[in-house]
Amino acid sequence: MSDVGERVLLLVGSPKGLEKSNSARLGRLVVGMLEERGWSSESAHLHAAIKSETGRRELFEAIDRANVVLLAAPLYVDSLPAPAIRALELIAAHRRASDVKRMPRFVSMIQCGFVEPSQNDTCQRILRRFADCTGFEWVAGVSLGGGGRVTKRVRTAFDILGEALDLEILVPDGVEQRTRKPSMPGWLYVIGGNMGWKRLADKNGVKDQLRARPYERRGS
Amino acid sequence: MDRQALILDGGLGDGADTRGAGRIADDVLRCVGWQVARLTLRETDIAPCLGCFGCWIQTPGVCVIDDAGRDVARQMAHSDLLVYLTPLTFGGYSSELKKAVDRSIPNISPLFRLVKGEVHHVKRYARYPRIAGIGVCSDDRADPDEEELFETLVHRNAINFHAPADGACVISVTEDDDVMRRRIERTLRRVIES
Repeated sequence: MSDVGERVLLLVGSPKGLEKSNSARLGRLVVGMLEERGWSSESAHLHAAIKSETGRRELFEAIDRANVVLLAAPLYVDSLPAPAIRALELIAAHRRASDVKRMPRFVSMIQCGFVEPSQNDTCQRILRRFADCTGFEWVAGVSLGGGGRVTKRVRTAFDILGEALDLEILVPDGVEQRTRKPSMPGWLYVIGGNMGWKRLADKNGVKDQLRARPYERRGS
Repeated sequence: MDRQALILDGGLGDGADTRGAGRIADDVLRCVGWQVARLTLRETDIAPCLGCFGCWIQTPGVCVIDDAGRDVARQMAHSDLLVYLTPLTFGGYSSELKKAVDRSIPNISPLFRLVKGEVHHVKRYARYPRIAGIGVCSDDRADPDEEELFETLVHRNAINFHAPADGACVISVTEDDDVMRRRIERTLRRVIES
């Protein structure tokens, strides 16, 4: 395939896929900015791509074509969801085996269900190691809290990120400064979050079972 | 009362990367009187977590997927010690270990609380297992930064899963058995005796 202009590849590491996931929605905000600046884009759902030989080959080829790879995923227990980690293992093995020379720029965008974006730090460090070890140029790790709530501040950060990616300049510290601040105090998030969980359980008729202990040990 | 350990072996491929360390961890624990169960995750059919929160708001405490993932979550809840055994994967867990860890979230509550100023989930059970991480690196020696990252990941998991104690070590697959044993024993003793 001939290269026409710059190309961004959005990798979505959420089980909810390209259509329904918050991660894809967030990633597309940055991808959309690049498209407005003349970039072309592709996207891949990691959970689906790793399931078949064809999916894996298409994933590797899309990475080889990309100037920027943006991985958007939810935080699962301080790291990526297992299938997204599997994808990283496969990408790393492919790039080692095929002696890839190109170094696409790599951006990770992780969102967690806690209010503090800093809870994504461990995952971001893992992703940075992945980038450094597998021939990507790490450029930014964007961490969002509150389930990926897009505040005005976050939107401004995405604008700055999009511009930096387009101009191929260092991503300014302002991106991190704007995204790392929790959107509300922890105590308020606890109150609101707990009300939300109870409401959802109530809708399913299990509010009274929210604290159920089906695997309680005898003698506990 | 017997103390129960569960070794979650997240080895990849043919499992050669974690086999030796798993055998040593098993032996060390038995020598100090623990009962040990060992689960080879690459041979265990566990579907990936769907991120649906069904285990919190539809069938509280039980994953909506009826497969071996449920049994693993139950075994984890019934253990006094979990040993996370994994090839070091960019400083973190392998996909095999992570598929089990992801499916263990039914064991905590969806409700939030503040822990040292940070939001975390509330306990579902009165007791939780200790967590020991053993990372196996394929190089002669792990990068100190990667080692610290692995320890941090295990500790962060321990906070989220209410583990009363945690610790981790990184060993090299090229180390001889005596060196490997000393390091694993030191880590396990630190976790079970603290």
